[in-house]
Amino acid sequence: MFDITLLWEVRGLILQGFWNTLWICFTGCLLALSLGLVLAALRLANPRLFGYPVACYVELCRGTPLLILLFLLYYGGPSIGLTLSASVAGVMGLGLYGAGYFAEIYRGGFKSIPKGQLEAARMLGISRWHALTHIQIPQMARLIVPPGTNQLIILVKESALISIISVDDLTKNATTIVNQTFQVIEPYLAVALLYWLMIELIARGGYALEKRLANRQPRPASQQGATPHAHG
Amino acid sequence: MPMADTLSPSSPPRQKSIVEAHGISKQFGDLEVLTDIDFSLAPSEVVCVIGPSGSGKSTLLRCLAFLEPYDHGSVYIDGQLLGYEDRNGKRVRTSEKRVDDVRAPVGMVFQHFHLWPHRTALENVTEALRLVNGLSRQEADTEGMAMLEQVGLSDRAGHFPESLSGGQKQRVAIARALAMKPRVMFFDEPTSALDPELVGEVLDVMKKLAADGMTMVIVTHEMGFAANVANRVIFMDQGRVVESGPPATLFRQPKSERLQQFLNTWRERNID
Amino acid sequence: MLEILLNHYPVLLEGLATTLVVSLSAIALGLVLGVLLAFGLTSRHGLVRWPCGLYRSFWRGTPILLQLLLVYYLLPEVGIEIAPISAAILTLTLNTAAFQSEIFRSGISHIPAGQIEAARMAGISSWQTRRRIIMPQVFRLTLPPLTNEIITILKNSSLISVIAVTELMRVSEQIASRTFQPLETYLAAALLYLAVNLVLALLSAHLERRMTGGLATD
Repeated sequence: MFDITLLWEVRGLILQGFWNTLWICFTGCLLALSLGLVLAALRLANPRLFGYPVACYVELCRGTPLLILLFLLYYGGPSIGLTLSASVAGVMGLGLYGAGYFAEIYRGGFKSIPKGQLEAARMLGISRWHALTHIQIPQMARLIVPPGTNQLIILVKESALISIISVDDLTKNATTIVNQTFQVIEPYLAVALLYWLMIELIARGGYALEKRLANRQPRPASQQGATPHAHG
Repeated sequence: MPMADTLSPSSPPRQKSIVEAHGISKQFGDLEVLTDIDFSLAPSEVVCVIGPSGSGKSTLLRCLAFLEPYDHGSVYIDGQLLGYEDRNGKRVRTSEKRVDDVRAPVGMVFQHFHLWPHRTALENVTEALRLVNGLSRQEADTEGMAMLEQVGLSDRAGHFPESLSGGQKQRVAIARALAMKPRVMFFDEPTSALDPELVGEVLDVMKKLAADGMTMVIVTHEMGFAANVANRVIFMDQGRVVESGPPATLFRQPKSERLQQFLNTWRERNID
Repeated sequence: MLEILLNHYPVLLEGLATTLVVSLSAIALGLVLGVLLAFGLTSRHGLVRWPCGLYRSFWRGTPILLQLLLVYYLLPEVGIEIAPISAAILTLTLNTAAFQSEIFRSGISHIPAGQIEAARMAGISSWQTRRRIIMPQVFRLTLPPLTNEIITILKNSSLISVIAVTELMRVSEQIASRTFQPLETYLAAALLYLAVNLVLALLSAHLERRMTGGLATD
C-alpha cells in the first residue's frame, strides 16, 4: 500500500534533492541556452570558419550519451588538471550537452525566415540591424519556443543522470530513501511526480510564451472557425 | 447534439429506387447544413446536384454514403436502412461492418481523388479487389488492367500517383471505384480540383459511364455537362432542395428567384 | 585513446554488442507496442484513448533512469524475479513505446482523411485500412523521427550500467578503473557510440532516398 507517512518522515531528503535538481537544471539550462546561442551566432556570422566545427560539435552531442560526457568531466577532468565538484560537473555536462541541441534549434529558426522578407526590408531602407531586431528575431522567437521547450524538458529529465556521479539530486536521494526504508514505490513515485510537475510547468510556460508571441504578431485569420469539420 | 429520432414509420421504400432518402437533416455544431431532404434515385438515372458553394450539396452526397452520419431521417440503399438500426424501438448506429455491407453497391469519387500515394495506379485499383473480394494477385491484376483500360490509362498502370496529372489521377480513382462493380456511382465535384484543360478527359469517362447505363449522382459545377448528360438536376441552396427537374426545364425556365440568380451569375462569369 | 581501443577491443566490442542487443530489442518490441498505443490514441472511444494518453504522459514525462530503478526494484517486490538485462530491455521498451506512439499518432494524423474515406467506400475494413493504407505510409513519413528515437534509445541504454548490465558503458567503467585512464577510456567509448549512431543515421537517410511512391499530400 502507498504509505504517505513514510514520505513525511523523509521529507528532508526529498526537499534537498528537489532543491539540488532545481538549481542544477536551472543553471545547466541557462548555460545550454546561452552557449547554444553563441555557437549558432558564430556559425551564421562566419559559416566558412565556424560552420564545420560547430556542426561537428552538434553531431557529437547528438551521437554520444550524456552519461559519457558527465564521466569525462567528473572522472576524466582531473587527468588534465580540471577537478570539478560533482554538481559543477553536472551543470557543465547539462550545459555543454544542451548547447549542441540549442545551437541547432536557433539555426533552424533563423533559416526558416524567407529571404524575401529581408530583401523587402532592405528595399524599404531598413537597416540590417533593424531588420534583425524588428523582423527576424521576433519571428524566430515564435518558431524557437516549441522545440526549445521540448529540449528543456529533455534536459530536466536527463538531469537524473547526475545522480550517477553522486550528486544528491532527486533521483539519488530517492534511491537513498529506498535503501534506508526498504520501500520502493513511495519514494520513486513521489520523485517521479516531482519531475512530472517540473516538466508540466515548463510545458505550460512554453505554451503560454508561444501564445503571447503569436498574439503580438497576428497571423492570417485562423481558419478554424470557418471550417468546423475539416474532412478534405 | 441533436438526438437521432425513431425509425421513420412511413412506408417502406419502394423497391424501384436504388438510393432513397426521407427527410434527412444534418448539423455541424449550431450550423444546420441540411434540412429535411427527400431524395430518390432510379436505376440508370443520372442526377446532377448543383448549387452555390456552402449550399450543402457535398454534405448531402456524404450523408447518402454515410461518410457523414445524418442526424434525422433515413437513407435506404437497395431498400436497406444505412447507418442506423432499430433496437427495441430506439434508433442506434450500426456496426462499421453493417455500414460496409449496406453501402457495398455504392462507389465514390472524390474532389481531391484521394488515391493512396504508396500504391501504383494498378495497385490502387486492385487493393480492394484483393482485400475485400479476396481475389488472388493475378486475378486482381487482370481485373484491374481491364478497369484502367476502361478509363484509358492501361499505359500508366505502374506509375505512382505523384507522377500522374490531375486528370489521370481522377480517372484512376474512377477505375478504383468501378472495380468493385458498384450499381451506383457518387461523384463529389470530380472536376473542381482540376486545371481547366484536364476537365474534359474526366467528363468524357463519366459520359461513357452514363451511356453504358450506370446510375450516378454527381455534385458538380459543370453546367454544360449537367445539361447534356443528366436526366434530372437538383438545385440546392442553404441546405434545402429548392428546385428539381429535367435539365431542359430547370435551365430554361427556372421557377425560383434563387435559381435564376444562380444561373445568371454563372452565365455572366462564362460569357467572357 | 587509441591505445585503449587497441588493448581492450575484445571487451569493448562485447559491451557494444550487448548495447546493440538491448537497444534494438527494445526498439523492436517498443515498435509493436507503440503502434498499438497509437491506434489507441487515435481511437474514437474515449475509454480507449484516455488510458493510452495517461501511459504516454507518464513514460514521456519522467526520467528514464527513474523508470529503470522503479522497474528493477519494484518487480521483485511483487514476486517477479527478473535478470538485470531483462529489466533493462523491459524499461527501454516501455519507455520507447510511449515516444514511438506519439510519433506514429502524429504520422497517422497526417494521412489525409479522404484516403481513409476512399478505403471505407471501397469496403475495406478499418483494420485492413490501418494495416494496408495507413501504416505503410506512416512508416515512411516517420522515418526521420523514428531514427532519432532509435539513436536516443541507444544513448539512453548507457544508463542501464547502473543496474550492472555489462554493456559498453559498464565495460568502459571497468577499464577506466583498471587502467586509471578515465579520460582516454570514456573518449574511446564516446567514439564507439558516435560511430554506431552515425551509421544508423546514414542508413536511415539511404532508406529514405530509396523509397518509391512518394507521399503526395493531395
